[in-house]
Amino acid sequence: MQVFLDFLRRYNYLFLFLILEILSILMLVRFNRYQGYVWLTGANAVTASVNGVYTDAVAFTELREVNRDLTDVNIRLQQENRALREALADAKYDTTYTHRRVLDELQGYRLIPARVVGNKIRVGADNYLVINRGSKDGVTAEMGVVSGGGVVGIVYLTNRHHSLVMPITHSKSSISCSVRGQNYFGYLQWDGANTRTAYVSDVPRYAKARKGQVIETSGYSSVFPPGIFVGRIHKVSNASDGQSYRLDVVLGNDFASLRDVSVVATPYKAEVDTLKRRAEFIDMNNDN
Amino acid sequence: MFPVSIQYFFFAVVLMLSQVLVFNHIHILGYAIPMPFVYLVLMLHSSTSRWMYVLWGFIVGLVIDIFSNTLGENAAAMTFLGLIAPRLLDVFSPADRGDDGFIPSPHTMQWGGYVRYATAATLIFTTLFFLMESFSLFDVVRLCIHIASSSFLTLLIIFAIEHLRQNMARV
Repeated sequence: MQVFLDFLRRYNYLFLFLILEILSILMLVRFNRYQGYVWLTGANAVTASVNGVYTDAVAFTELREVNRDLTDVNIRLQQENRALREALADAKYDTTYTHRRVLDELQGYRLIPARVVGNKIRVGADNYLVINRGSKDGVTAEMGVVSGGGVVGIVYLTNRHHSLVMPITHSKSSISCSVRGQNYFGYLQWDGANTRTAYVSDVPRYAKARKGQVIETSGYSSVFPPGIFVGRIHKVSNASDGQSYRLDVVLGNDFASLRDVSVVATPYKAEVDTLKRRAEFIDMNNDN
Repeated sequence: MFPVSIQYFFFAVVLMLSQVLVFNHIHILGYAIPMPFVYLVLMLHSSTSRWMYVLWGFIVGLVIDIFSNTLGENAAAMTFLGLIAPRLLDVFSPADRGDDGFIPSPHTMQWGGYVRYATAATLIFTTLFFLMESFSLFDVVRLCIHIASSSFLTLLIIFAIEHLRQNMARV
């Protein structure tokens, strides 16, 4: 306390100066119009500046809430974006010539729409697809599976809700195909080299096959109706037996990104199968 | 504390009256205003206490303000001059001054020391005064001309008074 009092006593002139100076300035801005106006303007500017800083600080403290709202909006927009992209992809798909042609060819057949829920596509492996339709939906083994890009494969096994599809990219797959506009047919098989290519074997040498021509299903089986797009000829070469052509085909489907497919329920498949079994039975009896 | 004589009191009254009635109306070229009442602080005895310097500066400034209708301008500048004047006096006073103190003048400080002391004090006062009057730095050049010319004119009057006082003392 004594130190404080000594301090006050020693520097009394400073306190007196401060008091008198403040008093002078108060008189200056109070009784002089010009100085009062300048003071008021300056004070207003300072007040506005302080208010601005305060407002910025308050806005900064509310950033967490704003950030959360933005995150919600972002997630919602991402979902919308995904839905729109899928719709756009479907819309593009519908307009392709191949898809329209496939649908035209499949008129009169019952199509069971399905979605690929399991996809194991590897080069050199025996690939399988799993679709989300099963026996409950009318899917049975040996039904054909197609998509917008053309033939996908054949149903291999079914259970109540799902089915296993043997795609073209399986070493045991063999589908009867022909060159569009010609009646010569062969069998589409896969050599495991590339998931985007396969080959047609046993095409007669007198067939006029050229690069770029369309390979489609021949209809010589009860699995696929005739005229379903398979792919385009990439290369024509001699088969190893030297008696026929081998046609390398670029497939219409990219199996790695396959999503929406349709199972083709051939209306007369049961009758055709019955006839085939009867023929086999008759052949067996004749042999005996 | 405050070695005021009757002579000093009358001198102060005369100087303030002169300021209010005469010097306030002089505006040479619209810039230079003589303000010799600064002299009332400069001529205080060196042993005057510092709070007395501050208070006396404030009173002189306030009186001039009241009669000049510039309330606060001279008071603020003179109060600051009252704070700083003892320090200036310490700086510019001769080294061989006695313990009893002295009244600042060319006689006690030599002309060189006194001129520096008076010039520094007057410049500080006029600077503060014109800053208070303009209350902004809108036209710095004009402000500097005001300060320089008014300081010069004020110093001329102060030195003239000192010269007269020295001559009267000799007589």
